[in-house]
Amino acid sequence: MIARMKDDRRAAGKSKMRSRGAQALAAGCAVLVLVIPGTAGATSLRPAASTVNLTWETMWSGPTLLLLKQMTTAFNASHPGIVVSETNIPSATGDAKLQSQIAAGDPPSIFTEWNPVIGEYAADGSIISMNPYLTGAYKNFKSWEYPLAAATGTYKGQLVGVPMSLNSWALYYNKSILKAAGITSPPTTLAQLTADQAKEWIIKGGKLQQIGMYPGGNGFEYFATFFGALNCFNSAGQYDYANTKTCPGATKLMDWLTSFKPYPYAQVNSMNATYGAVAGGDDDPFVAGKEGFNMDGPWEGAQNVPDANPSMVGNFGVVPFPGTVAGPSTIGQGNFNIIPKGAADPTAAFEFITWLAGFNNVKFTANIDPQGGWVPASPTIAAAPAYQAYVKKFPWMSTYLEQMSSKYSQAPVLSTHESQAETAMVTASNNVQDGTYTPAQALTYIDTQANSNT
Amino acid sequence: MSTALKSPEVKVPRSASEISRALQRRRIRIGLLFVSPWILGFLAFFLYPFFATLFYSFTNYTGIGHAHLIGFANYWALFHDSLFRTSLFNTVYYTAVELPLSTSVALGLALLLNMNVRGQQFYRTVFYIPSIVPLVASCMIFVWIFNPTNGIMNSLLSDAHLPSPDWFFSVAWSKPSFILLGLWGLGQPMVIYLAALQGVPKDMYEVCALEGASAWQRFRFVTLPMISPIILFNGVLQLVLCVSYFTQAQVIESQDIGGPGTSTWFYVQYLYTQAFQFLKFGYSSAMGFFLFIITGIITVVLFKSSSRWVYYAGDDR
Repeated sequence: MIARMKDDRRAAGKSKMRSRGAQALAAGCAVLVLVIPGTAGATSLRPAASTVNLTWETMWSGPTLLLLKQMTTAFNASHPGIVVSETNIPSATGDAKLQSQIAAGDPPSIFTEWNPVIGEYAADGSIISMNPYLTGAYKNFKSWEYPLAAATGTYKGQLVGVPMSLNSWALYYNKSILKAAGITSPPTTLAQLTADQAKEWIIKGGKLQQIGMYPGGNGFEYFATFFGALNCFNSAGQYDYANTKTCPGATKLMDWLTSFKPYPYAQVNSMNATYGAVAGGDDDPFVAGKEGFNMDGPWEGAQNVPDANPSMVGNFGVVPFPGTVAGPSTIGQGNFNIIPKGAADPTAAFEFITWLAGFNNVKFTANIDPQGGWVPASPTIAAAPAYQAYVKKFPWMSTYLEQMSSKYSQAPVLSTHESQAETAMVTASNNVQDGTYTPAQALTYIDTQANSNT
Repeated sequence: MSTALKSPEVKVPRSASEISRALQRRRIRIGLLFVSPWILGFLAFFLYPFFATLFYSFTNYTGIGHAHLIGFANYWALFHDSLFRTSLFNTVYYTAVELPLSTSVALGLALLLNMNVRGQQFYRTVFYIPSIVPLVASCMIFVWIFNPTNGIMNSLLSDAHLPSPDWFFSVAWSKPSFILLGLWGLGQPMVIYLAALQGVPKDMYEVCALEGASAWQRFRFVTLPMISPIILFNGVLQLVLCVSYFTQAQVIESQDIGGPGTSTWFYVQYLYTQAFQFLKFGYSSAMGFFLFIITGIITVVLFKSSSRWVYYAGDDR
């Protein structure tokens, strides 16, 4: 028994020695990899000989989750030194779980987050800066991304989030509803849109049967870039939407949202809830052919329509939203991957999340992005043959791509109060549409709530 | 060389009181051992969080890193936060209506089910079933039933030529809709009231019958006093459930939290949002402690007033 224990200790000692040897070898390799450009491992920042396990937490489900699993499998196959395990957590508790994990010192290696809270996480040090990894082969990573993507993932000069896909918003129109209303072409001005959608409402016997257009709760934030009103701050860095001099777009937007007050707020929302509860939440009045215009992202046409109502596939078109700014625009948003504070192997995590974005992985990403109806993180992916074939198949996708590089597109400034501002915008948008607030009251409400408890 | 002789140890018999004390200590040790899981749970999951909440309410803690003391700033900010006032109002409104209404309805159902009618067991089961349906499922069912456009409720109201409200989607009707949802799951308090009613001695009703008391007088002067401890018990439980109202609102408003407008921002929802969405754990701790104080005050008032309206059989008060 004692002899066996001694043998075990010897074995452990040898193992430790082997481990030290391996570490030294790995460190040597790492130096070589970083110093010698043009070698096979030039894109890797981590020691080549080591194998690391990464945990990736996402809040996705359904078809998107299947795509993420495909991506994980492909990465693991092409990176023998890294094993990524993807875990899906419910979105309702995702942030709470991440915070608990960070506080407990056991965070995932990577977490996929929506951008409004990235600023809050960055400000309190919950996530790490990726600037130290922007060296060697990754030196030009930020300029490889769409400027909108890089700006949305940057907090006070530090890269804190990298998108694997981006959102872009444009105006969908239902061709047959447009024709039935006697309109020959989609609107090119805000006045036209307002007038056209008014012709498309059908309310019979007090019951709503068809919507012309209804901005809804996401009205203010998602429409803000179309009115040049996304980032309105005063000199003290506080939200200042109510200031008509420095932020005239906010007033124009809120006035426009208020113009929807005559429509039946409750019935529109109940119709949205009805369709939103079927087809896994992919359905909505527009997909069901019950809405003339809808401001939405590319997934609506690429995924929701074919999945929930295939008969609508050839019956819609997409144009830039005709706002008050002089050209096409959109807001910088997307699925941003972040590395939590205390995560093990951040170097490998960075390698993984840049791969997900398509860096050093153009061909695969150009094939996977179309499956999710995603706008890629970089123009390089958009220009790749596979993605171009997708755009050729769905010409309306070009609208989304063009506005990614538009000078009128804006990235929300990451701030510690963005989440608060976003919540207040939803309430304010709803309140002007249901007639609870005047436009001025709604803007003041946003400022008050967004700046509260500072 | 002398050898000291050791005197042999003599065992002195312990007195009866010593034995009793030793036995008592042993019993206490064993008792503590058996209740230790609860004590540990209480310390870890109740007492520590309680004091941690109190501490964090005086800090600007964000959930990560260090908490810096900021005095009463969070409490001060509460009273300048319009959404805090709105959420407090909504919760007070819900509690003020739901508490007496649910007590009356649960008691009324229990009285009906306590009568000797045919199919009594069937009715008891039917009224209890909603309370065993998972909360999230019952919320989803309610959203469908009360959908203003396609819901069965408005179809029935329309057929009866009655006005069809917009229920959860209307500022005016959203809170009453949640109150109706609360009434649907009253099986639990109803069963407790039923048990209490069956514990009222029959001979008291016989005396009432001999004295010629009416049904109302029997209820007012016999039934109510006899079950008043149970009314107090259920009332306190319902009070805690009402002030901590969260799950139903969170599920039903998943796309429009607090909506329509701010008509259904409930207190605990706002507290949760402050903590887990805005990362203001200090502020939400202050909200939590404020809620504790309010609930504590109401509970104390209820218990203090109970000496006037609660009758404990065998109590000479």
